[in-house]
Amino acid sequence: MSDLDKAIAQLRACRPIPESQVRELCHKARELLIEEGNVVTVTAPVTICGDIHGQFHDLMELFRVGGDPPDTNYLFMGDFVDRGFYSLESFLLLLCLKVRYPDRMTLIRGNHESRQITTVYGFYDECLRKYGSANVWRYCCDVFDYLALGAIVLGASNTLSPPNDAVSRDVYVEEDIEIEVCNADGDVMSQFRRQPNDRKSPNGTAAKTGPPGSGASGSSGGSTGNSTGAVLCVHGGLSPLIDTVDKIRLLDRKQEVPHEGAMCDLLWSDPDEIDGWGLSPRGAGFLFGPDIVKVFNHRNDLSLIARAHQLVMEGFKEMFEASIVTVWSAPNYCYRCGNVAAVLELSEDNGEQILARSNGEFGRSDGGVARGVMMEGENGLKNGPARRYRVFQAAPQDSRGMPAKKPVADYFL
Amino acid sequence: MAAQPVPHPSTDKKRVKVYELRNNDWFDRGTGFCTAAFHLIEEGQREPRVVVESEDQPDRVLLETKICKEDGFHKQQETLIVWTEPSNGVDMALSFQEADGCTMIWRFINNIQQQFQSVMAPGDDSLSDDLAMDMPNPVSLPAATMGNLDEIESQMRMMSGTANGREALTKYVLSEDYIGRLIPLVGDAEDLESLNELHRLCNIMKIIILLNDTSIIEHAVSDECVIGVVGALEYDPDFPSHKANHRQWLEDSGRYKEVVRIEDSQILKKVHQTYRLQYLKDVVLARILDDNTFSVLNSLIFFNQVDIVQHLQANGNFLSELFDIFKSPGEDLKRKKDAVLFIQQCCAIAKNLQPPARQTLYNNFIAHGLLQVINFGLRHNDVAVRVGATDVLVSMIDHDPQMIRQTIYRQIHEKQPPLTDSLIELLLVEVDLGVKSHISDALKVLLDQGPPMQPEVFAKANGEYAARTQNRMPTADPQQERFLELFYEHSAAKLFKPLLDLKDRVAMDFTVQQASMFTYLIEILCFFIRQHQHRSKFFVLNHDIVKRVGQLLACPEKFLKLVTIRFLRQLIGLNDEFYIKHLSEKRVIGPILDVLMETMPRDNLLSSACLEFFEFIRKEMIKDLIKHTVENYRDKLQSLSYVELFRFLLQRYDQTRGFTVNLDYFLESSDDDVARRRTNVNPRANVHLMEHISIDQAEEEYWNTSDDEDDLQAKIGNRAPLVNGGSPNTKLVDYASDEETDEAVVAGSSTLASSNTGEATPEKTDNQAPKSDGVTSAIPPPERLSEKRRREEDGEDEMSKLIQHKRRNSTSPNSNASSTSGVIKKKKSATSARDAGGGGPKIAISISSSIKAGSGQPGVDSLAADKTTRREV
Repeated sequence: MSDLDKAIAQLRACRPIPESQVRELCHKARELLIEEGNVVTVTAPVTICGDIHGQFHDLMELFRVGGDPPDTNYLFMGDFVDRGFYSLESFLLLLCLKVRYPDRMTLIRGNHESRQITTVYGFYDECLRKYGSANVWRYCCDVFDYLALGAIVLGASNTLSPPNDAVSRDVYVEEDIEIEVCNADGDVMSQFRRQPNDRKSPNGTAAKTGPPGSGASGSSGGSTGNSTGAVLCVHGGLSPLIDTVDKIRLLDRKQEVPHEGAMCDLLWSDPDEIDGWGLSPRGAGFLFGPDIVKVFNHRNDLSLIARAHQLVMEGFKEMFEASIVTVWSAPNYCYRCGNVAAVLELSEDNGEQILARSNGEFGRSDGGVARGVMMEGENGLKNGPARRYRVFQAAPQDSRGMPAKKPVADYFL
Repeated sequence: MAAQPVPHPSTDKKRVKVYELRNNDWFDRGTGFCTAAFHLIEEGQREPRVVVESEDQPDRVLLETKICKEDGFHKQQETLIVWTEPSNGVDMALSFQEADGCTMIWRFINNIQQQFQSVMAPGDDSLSDDLAMDMPNPVSLPAATMGNLDEIESQMRMMSGTANGREALTKYVLSEDYIGRLIPLVGDAEDLESLNELHRLCNIMKIIILLNDTSIIEHAVSDECVIGVVGALEYDPDFPSHKANHRQWLEDSGRYKEVVRIEDSQILKKVHQTYRLQYLKDVVLARILDDNTFSVLNSLIFFNQVDIVQHLQANGNFLSELFDIFKSPGEDLKRKKDAVLFIQQCCAIAKNLQPPARQTLYNNFIAHGLLQVINFGLRHNDVAVRVGATDVLVSMIDHDPQMIRQTIYRQIHEKQPPLTDSLIELLLVEVDLGVKSHISDALKVLLDQGPPMQPEVFAKANGEYAARTQNRMPTADPQQERFLELFYEHSAAKLFKPLLDLKDRVAMDFTVQQASMFTYLIEILCFFIRQHQHRSKFFVLNHDIVKRVGQLLACPEKFLKLVTIRFLRQLIGLNDEFYIKHLSEKRVIGPILDVLMETMPRDNLLSSACLEFFEFIRKEMIKDLIKHTVENYRDKLQSLSYVELFRFLLQRYDQTRGFTVNLDYFLESSDDDVARRRTNVNPRANVHLMEHISIDQAEEEYWNTSDDEDDLQAKIGNRAPLVNGGSPNTKLVDYASDEETDEAVVAGSSTLASSNTGEATPEKTDNQAPKSDGVTSAIPPPERLSEKRRREEDGEDEMSKLIQHKRRNSTSPNSNASSTSGVIKKKKSATSARDAGGGGPKIAISISSSIKAGSGQPGVDSLAADKTTRREV
């Protein structure tokens, strides 16, 4: 058993690892994360998760419901720390898993992955309590600076794969299920069939912008044969400074989350039922309306934006004609909000049912060959990928110890 | 008086003064004897009343008031009953001579009030809620016995559901010492192993604590109660199979470390109480605390801490004893360590105090020799002590850096090595990351002379340190000047030695410690460059710092490369001609391109950082760098030309190649708007280009001292030859455009047109000597007007451009930064004044155009805002 596996086992038991191991872990993680672009490309199947906020036992529950890593490919959209009592264990476990299975685990940055915020909302105090010094906090904050700002999921199918072995795949193809909600045990609770796609595209040519500044891998063309657009995952939302995904790639992300600017907005903004952009009551980031999302998705060939950042009592909430979804993965938030949590599963596209589903858009996003071609003549937004939400509740109270902070051992005053 | 007939045998005990609240003062209405009884009113109806008859004139009634459910009598202390008169709303008080009398009357009143309470069934709270605001209904709970726990719990739960119920319950719990009565039951239930009862007790205790009453909580953490209270809370029914071990934790007396005996028992009590409160808050109740109880606990802790610290710092004996620990060489090392940690905790607590209180604490500490303690601690071989000492130092610096600086000045004056030198030594050898980062922070603050920082660069400054220095007032202290001078003479080279040592080094492989050292040093260096303009500039030049740092681009560690790129990016971000020139001379652009070429086409942090570097050059149109880059690294650019950005750079250069000599001229002058947007246009920029033209010293002098008008005039003059020379206008103007083409053409040509027409003395000289003429020509009055108009026009274009494109210039927040060149004071101020008129609003407008609602200041709000959201959830 390698040291890393040992560390994972120890953290899974909710016991922190020694400071020296944390340092080493963070060092390794940094080497890994430095190689990631600001927007990481992830291929379906993937399970997308929202805020965790140090609720370690609920993270364990999430793994139980969503499948254990590395069997399940996970994408966490930030806010691993603060508020809950086990920020340290939660974040370190995720980081360990990231280092151990780099291709099966994607972590992007949330607004709480910041020095300023963690000093106010608990992570700093927690590290101080658990290690007696702030060094571990410093190591972790260093890693925060390296975390990617977003992810693009490619190759998501518009047909779900079965939730368990008892169900045949054919059902999903025939029934054309777009959305399915499952409970923690994998039982289907509700299904929604795909509506005929008569959504109109926003007017104007909305030409795909020229080659990206970076030239580094194309924006979001989707993988070969995939007829759904890509899914952009980001913690908060959009920014008025970012009109294409490639603009995100031009940010120098290795820094504390600034108080304004594109990087800040991506981590702080919220969707809202308004026209255009609005001031955010949070004092950082913006509010953005359906029109903004539509134009952005259209321009970037996206079918969906997945984000976290806001508590939703049902665990997930689709907005703006399913062009954006909020996923929230901290059940009974702060141990008292009474909400349920959810993860979003996107199935892998295995190509066969594409032809059946071809609706005139097929071949558009064929992995770069046609990239750069203007989108004129095309009609309508991309079909959303088929989505399965697995909803779960807080871990049974008894499965964990009493959640509590670690007390200060000694005192002089 | 003695002859007076007495209605009750205990009259004496009911001697009472009647008070009425008038204008916030208690007005004495007289002294008398108080009775409380049912008085007959018509038709056999009886009404409970409190009556006071005057002592001197027995016939006179000082007070007659009805006890009805609205009036809420309260008993305060032993001898006081207060209420609000229902008829007129006046606040009244009865002050009894003796407690017994008060108790007797109170018993009667209380009984009556309880009857009202029982009449009012708990069910109809909806009706009574409003009325009940000022009338808590006294309650009585079943006796605290094991058998009644069920009943007690349900009654309490019901009462705690309403505001008046809570109030009444609070009073009852306090007056009956209900907690004290419940506590024995915990032990009993444990003996009986009756989990059910234990869970009930836990619930009851939770309800009592969440009543949120300061006195109850204080009582709960008192010596007598605390163990029982947390004992009950160990059996949380939410976790039926778990039992916490709060008692074990709190009973461990070894947790309290007493370095110096605290004589005052009250204070000592508070120390323990505070610890328990913290334990309660963080551990016992962490999961169930609501915001109100949370803040009650916090404020209790806070006030205790204030008392404790106030007591200690005013206690000379205590302080002497504390600091003497460090003076006696024979002292136990453990005790010394504890003493450092004690002081550390004091300082940590002091952070919450009001600044004046903190000031006195530090003053007293320093007077007793705190600095020696820090010195001792910093060199201690135990990391915990070093951490403690740096913590203390940093918290003092945080509080008032000037305080420490004064000490340093004194040290300098006395020819002692200043504190900063010890810090530097420590920084270079320290292995603990926390101490290291503390020390580097401390150095930054101490060496900060506090000129206004550039917002852009500042926002990018990493880490905790950033927030701290934000609102400092600029001061120009001669002592600080002297200190800085000494620092750059002697200490800087020591500090940056690891960097300077790179000089003879070829292999760029470092140990982890070394590598992290570089990140700290470069971070400090960045700070110095922002803060100490000419001094740091000289240092950078003198020690060939750019070259040294640039060497790190060749190291295998990617994060070091990143640090290096960020350093260089900051240099160009300053928009200081000196550094831009320096970067070209040191030829560090090539290595950056190499890093990029190595990295591309991978999309990673390194390539993003590199691209951002060149994107900035493009966006800010730093011509010298474009020129330098293209002229020297054309091959590399071409190999990267699949990236649009580099194609652009090449293209721009090539388009203007016909005017190589004039390139700078042209760029500098024609795109006034761009220049102005990049607010710290440095007039000295011309110096560089003059090298191509060979201009004599006198003229250079003139340029250095010329004022704003001259400057503008000259710029306009510079433009003229190009226009007149029939150079392809569109192309030229195009160059000026930043990213947008069409609008810029319009803007540019209108600029040219107006400047041409408005100009009284257009230069018609040839390219070789446009300057001299421009300089010598007088400035006709209309010039200013036209200039002004032209600027306004530019401004409009700018706005419309921004609006049309919804593109915010603030992506390069640099544009807001004020000039740092420090070469020509006068020009600087003129430039920034112009910025204020041009740059600032433009940016504001662009923001508001894109968000429609004006811009906020997210900085501090972000925290506050997030707090609100928390409240909401």
